[in-house]
Amino acid sequence: MNHFQTVLTSLTLGIETVLCVIVFARRVQRALPFFVIYASVLLAHTIGMWIVYQTFGFHALTGYYCYWISLLLNAGARSLAIAELCRYKLRVYQGIWGLVWRLLAGVSMLFLLHAAIDTWGQPNRLAIYSLTLDRDLDVASVAILAALLLVHNYYGLSLEPLQRKIAAGICLICGVDVIGNTILLSLFTGYLFPLFGANRTPLWSTLEPQIVRAKDIWSTIHLFCFMAAMGIWCYALRKPIPARIETPEMLPAEVYRELSPAINLRLSAFNNRLTELLKP
Amino acid sequence: MNDLSFVILLAIALSGVLVWLLIPRHKSSRTASASFHPEAINSLPTARHYGYFPQVRQALSAADSQYLMENAPPQVAKQALRERRAVARRFLKGLHEDFSNLAKLGRMIAAMSPEVSREQETERLILSLKFQILYALVWLRLSTGNLPLQQLEHLTGLVGRLATRMDEAMAKISALSARPLAGGLGA
Repeated sequence: MNHFQTVLTSLTLGIETVLCVIVFARRVQRALPFFVIYASVLLAHTIGMWIVYQTFGFHALTGYYCYWISLLLNAGARSLAIAELCRYKLRVYQGIWGLVWRLLAGVSMLFLLHAAIDTWGQPNRLAIYSLTLDRDLDVASVAILAALLLVHNYYGLSLEPLQRKIAAGICLICGVDVIGNTILLSLFTGYLFPLFGANRTPLWSTLEPQIVRAKDIWSTIHLFCFMAAMGIWCYALRKPIPARIETPEMLPAEVYRELSPAINLRLSAFNNRLTELLKP
Repeated sequence: MNDLSFVILLAIALSGVLVWLLIPRHKSSRTASASFHPEAINSLPTARHYGYFPQVRQALSAADSQYLMENAPPQVAKQALRERRAVARRFLKGLHEDFSNLAKLGRMIAAMSPEVSREQETERLILSLKFQILYALVWLRLSTGNLPLQQLEHLTGLVGRLATRMDEAMAKISALSARPLAGGLGA
């Protein structure tokens, strides 16, 4: 780890600590417990990796395994935080939530299945497995957040400011990770893969400076975006958050039962007329 | 799709989502989440453009076109027809707005309902998507002069009935949402 990276890691650690302090000071766990767990996992990951690197060295195999395994733990915690974010406001709209959670769960399952299949088909290396799984989970996260936005927009609801900023931070982290992981993965599985063979070991020393340089650049971009995301979350939590979302007054169920089919019938008649207009 | 295209597409999509997330919305969620007071019902959209139909019908009538072709110089008649098509397009846009308002009313009712039918919501979504495609096709044909203006008359007749239906719907929502309140006051 060079001096610049040490500074960046220290800065990240500092911001993560500030985030955790704010999160607990604002009692975010009352409203978003999984987001609190995610913030804590991020801090634990940085501290844990720092200890591992200090103990075993930056290039030790232990550090390598710890890094890739903890990356997956991060992804797991983030997925839970996203699920919670989806439920955060929509749960007060009982009808919509009853419909939408199935849709979001379906989208998640599809992406998880894709991630599993994609990872299964990769060459047998922990870094490649983790990169693929992490990349696909990031894609799934962005897709689910986009679906959440679409649902809110479709039903004329707006995201709560806190929910909006947390989603923006997660989107930024996931998006940058997907881009980086895709580039890294294509390097590992493409140009560099033949060089991983045992018979090419003598070549590693010549390649190492280039690989380290590429990794440094990527690591710097990743850390900057990560800090920006945490900055967004800290900014979102500058004010106390309401423990509960205001529950809207619902209409009697019969209003929907009576009016919705009538409205759909009218919309359908409208389409029929437009179709007639188009007939030669 | 290669990795580079994937990365570029993703970066574009991500930027869009981020901009959407980070730009504060002035339109509050209260529109949908607020209690259904009579004032909120009154502010619900209605089929406004239908009201202009008599004037538009007059402007687009076959008799008017015939008169123009027979009496006006060809240049003027052509110009007038072009302008009439522009009027028809604007009117079609207005009808699009009316359709959107009705669909929006449906979605607002769904959002405020404790139970929602998956079939009804899917049907409305499909109808809205279908409408967008049909609207684009009609607009295109109208712009290229392939659609007789008189055919719009049938469409506007439908919107007229739609306006009446929406007014009835709003009155019904007002009555139904006021009922529990009245019961509460009486208790």
